[in-house]
Amino acid sequence: MTGAGPRVLLPSFPAMKSGRDTLFFSLLFFASLPLVLLVVLPLAKMLAEPGWVELRDAMVDADVLRALARSVWTSLAASMICVLFGTPLAYLLARKDFPGKRMVEGVVDLPIMIPHPVIGIAILSLAGRHHPMGRFLQDLGIQIMGTYTGIVTVLVFVGIPFFVNTTKAGFESVPVRLEKASRTLGAGMGSTFIRVTLPLTWPHMVLGMIMCTARAISEFGAIVIVAYHPMTAPVLIYERFTAYGLRYSQPVCFWLIIISFLLFVGMRLVSRFRAVDP
Amino acid sequence: MIEVRNLTVHVPGFRLHSIDLNVGPEDFFALIGPTGSGKSLLLEAMAGLVPIKAGRILVNGEDIGARSPERRGLGLVYQDHALFPHLSVRENILFGVRYHGLDRSTAHSRFNGLVHRLDLGPILDRSTTHLSGGERQRTALARSLMLQPRALLLDEPLSALDPVFRDDIRRLLRSLHEELAIPFILVSHDFSEVQYLANRGAILHEGIIEQNGAVRSLFERPVNRFCARFVGMKNLVACHVQDGWARVDALKIRIPRPLKWEGPAYLAIRPEDIGPADEGGRICDNEFTARVTALDGQGFIFHVSLEVEGVSLAAFWTRRTVDRRHVRPGHDILIHIPSDAVHVLCPEGAEDADS
Repeated sequence: MTGAGPRVLLPSFPAMKSGRDTLFFSLLFFASLPLVLLVVLPLAKMLAEPGWVELRDAMVDADVLRALARSVWTSLAASMICVLFGTPLAYLLARKDFPGKRMVEGVVDLPIMIPHPVIGIAILSLAGRHHPMGRFLQDLGIQIMGTYTGIVTVLVFVGIPFFVNTTKAGFESVPVRLEKASRTLGAGMGSTFIRVTLPLTWPHMVLGMIMCTARAISEFGAIVIVAYHPMTAPVLIYERFTAYGLRYSQPVCFWLIIISFLLFVGMRLVSRFRAVDP
Repeated sequence: MIEVRNLTVHVPGFRLHSIDLNVGPEDFFALIGPTGSGKSLLLEAMAGLVPIKAGRILVNGEDIGARSPERRGLGLVYQDHALFPHLSVRENILFGVRYHGLDRSTAHSRFNGLVHRLDLGPILDRSTTHLSGGERQRTALARSLMLQPRALLLDEPLSALDPVFRDDIRRLLRSLHEELAIPFILVSHDFSEVQYLANRGAILHEGIIEQNGAVRSLFERPVNRFCARFVGMKNLVACHVQDGWARVDALKIRIPRPLKWEGPAYLAIRPEDIGPADEGGRICDNEFTARVTALDGQGFIFHVSLEVEGVSLAAFWTRRTVDRRHVRPGHDILIHIPSDAVHVLCPEGAEDADS
């Protein structure tokens, strides 16, 4: 009798286990659903709402095309500036301990926390005539208010934490031993950075660029204060919504979403290329 | 030839103090010591990867202490091999060529020689992420040797390998050392590896060298209690030395030769050196009747706890010996301690057993 128990139970055990697994994963699935739907439903509605005529009209509307192009290139420019200046900062934060490091990390994170209109106001107050920095910039012929320079400055500001933190995590994931091995093989610090560290961090950098560009393309709060004109796509959408209503803003939203999607898919593909030893 | 003179290194939370080493081209030198004793740090300091606070590092008479790592001409092979995962085996091996001004034909012949010698031909174009442990280690060796280093520093090169590859790489390292005639400096935790590969070595403890000399003397003639314990002399007991005998309570053990020092000392005996006495053989010095107090089987080797005249001793015997001699807890057995296996540690400052 005692031996019969396990013989009966054992064959059914895997089935029972898999049944429990299914139940558990079903629970996870249903628990995840509300969040996914919250994102998908409004966007799906937005994409499905405009008819072909409205979408075509939007795509031949010079204002819409200019705003979309402006959003894309200012975001990419901001992302490039973040790469240029954010990469050294990310490497420094990943590899070196120095007094005040925690504070610098806090400063890098600040743009995530500050309300975006505050960012716009802060940049304007620094660039205004009443500030020495503003006077210096104006003496150089650099205008912030209502210019592309202003837009890109704002987008760099809001994109910094996304690029720097992602790239820093990438640098941290490269074992220091690889850099040390490279040094003993004759490569200097710069050469080691270019031939070992950078190729291994490349996917993280592209991810950082994607996040930075994504943040920039969607920026509205700070831009609307620093540069209402020239109009970027989010500002145009806002203006059309307030002036003409939902129906006129939706086609622009549609194209902004499609262009952003294609842009990010393209950037993801770039990150898959294997780095070639220079 | 590598000479380290009075080397001092400070890193956060740790210091290497006044390290002195001489490693000749004929030497396969082992750095051993507990985890955190500074072995790998010393290796990295030699390679220039850690700044030195004081002292000199001379390679063939030339002081390289102030040079950056890329200009020291020393090869370094890590435990995890540190292969570049974004490069193929071939690209890894050729990584450093551009920095050493090698002309094409020299690089080509050296590369082909190494590929042939280390049997890397079939894997040259593979990614390093899909190699076995042995292949990874051979690639790492080839990458360093491609640049004909003036010395090769090996940081636990075998510890990450499966036993089957470990023996191959061990043999390879020994034959490479014989062929290349450059100093090899090995950091290792594995005593059998050290004894197989190295002829000289040093024991590090908390950043200082406790003992430096022939590998055999490190394992058989430790200079202090720390070294004795570290190299596995499990039988370390306080004794009194007099007239060529060491007394531990009522136990009287013959020592190899009379010492100038007489008085309190420590007796150190390796557990492998305590064996059962020959059955029916003639009674000789250092044969004692011991009570078996415990028996702990560890595969083919048994750890046997013995008690002789109230003194606890540990012995390592094979399973065959335990079975043949019917060794059981509570039984008595006649044991023999060869007098040349008895090592006496004189108090610090007094004459050592080796002198």
